[in-house]
Amino acid sequence: MMFPFVKLTIASLLAGAIPACAAPDPNATTTLAGPDRASFDSVQAFLDHRCGTLDCHGTRYRNLRLWGHDGMRLAFGDVPGASPTTSAEVDASYAAIVALEPEIMNAVVADHGAHPERLTLVRKARGTEKHAGGAVVAVGDVRDVCITSWLASQTDETACAAALVYP
Amino acid sequence: MVKRSLFGVLTMLATTCTLDPVQSEAIADLGGEAPGIPPGPLHRPGQPCLVCHDGSTARPAMSVGGTVYALLGATAPLSGAGVELTAEDGSTFLARTNVAGNFYVEAAAWQPVYPLRVAVAFGGLTSTMSTIIGRDGSCASCHVDPPSRISAGRVYLAPSAALLPDGGAP
Repeated sequence: MMFPFVKLTIASLLAGAIPACAAPDPNATTTLAGPDRASFDSVQAFLDHRCGTLDCHGTRYRNLRLWGHDGMRLAFGDVPGASPTTSAEVDASYAAIVALEPEIMNAVVADHGAHPERLTLVRKARGTEKHAGGAVVAVGDVRDVCITSWLASQTDETACAAALVYP
Repeated sequence: MVKRSLFGVLTMLATTCTLDPVQSEAIADLGGEAPGIPPGPLHRPGQPCLVCHDGSTARPAMSVGGTVYALLGATAPLSGAGVELTAEDGSTFLARTNVAGNFYVEAAAWQPVYPLRVAVAFGGLTSTMSTIIGRDGSCASCHVDPPSRISAGRVYLAPSAALLPDGGAP
């Protein structure tokens, strides 16, 4: 014999478990509303220089992949360290960053860049999450501002220019 | 004699074995030693040193290591070149290439704070790497021949023979 409240508990557990274990909808899509692409060039220049070398994110072995002059090239015939970064490489790096965590990226952009640490990109760059490259920015320094101002859709070009030569 | 053989085998295993399958595969991919060149400072030019010399597999443990060639696209090593390494914290280390073009920095001597900047100097000519080194102390992790979308090609001093310093011909 089973007591009614036991039945109820089991039913509640099952009701809770079924949606939690349900497979993701294969047809679900997320519309990207990333930060401004037009003002990404200076951010990309910094990221290419500091993060995009061949031994870091300039490789196909990273979830976050960057393309550009200092690292992996997009077009056959282009060689690392030679010709300047192409607009196609900026596009590819932009897509890689924006699509890394699209839902969170959307939320950060919708909040005008508030709490950018929601993004793994920012946490790893700041070193608050395990990152083989260590902390490459400090909260509030020009490198951090370069990234976070872009996430707020107000790219600080001065900070990005300073980040390129820092240190 | 059996004892000695066993000791030899164990020593070899201790210096070449790793339980990391990724590293094991990377080591296997390097292939065997070149004929007539035993393990040592002259061996395996152009290969990524730290795949083995990582502090747990082969000795000495290295923090940085690589091979420098005289000319772009050529295979002749550059002997006697200075390899000037500068870490993010401002500390520096000067290594010198041997007759194989190889140089290395023992980990016990210098553990750089990345990113690194590097320049190669020989006979009054200095060639500075245009990008930083983010985290990998093996030059050949990125500098492999031929140049491609994902490789800058070998490390070299001069892009053409005409630019080599007097007496710099390899």
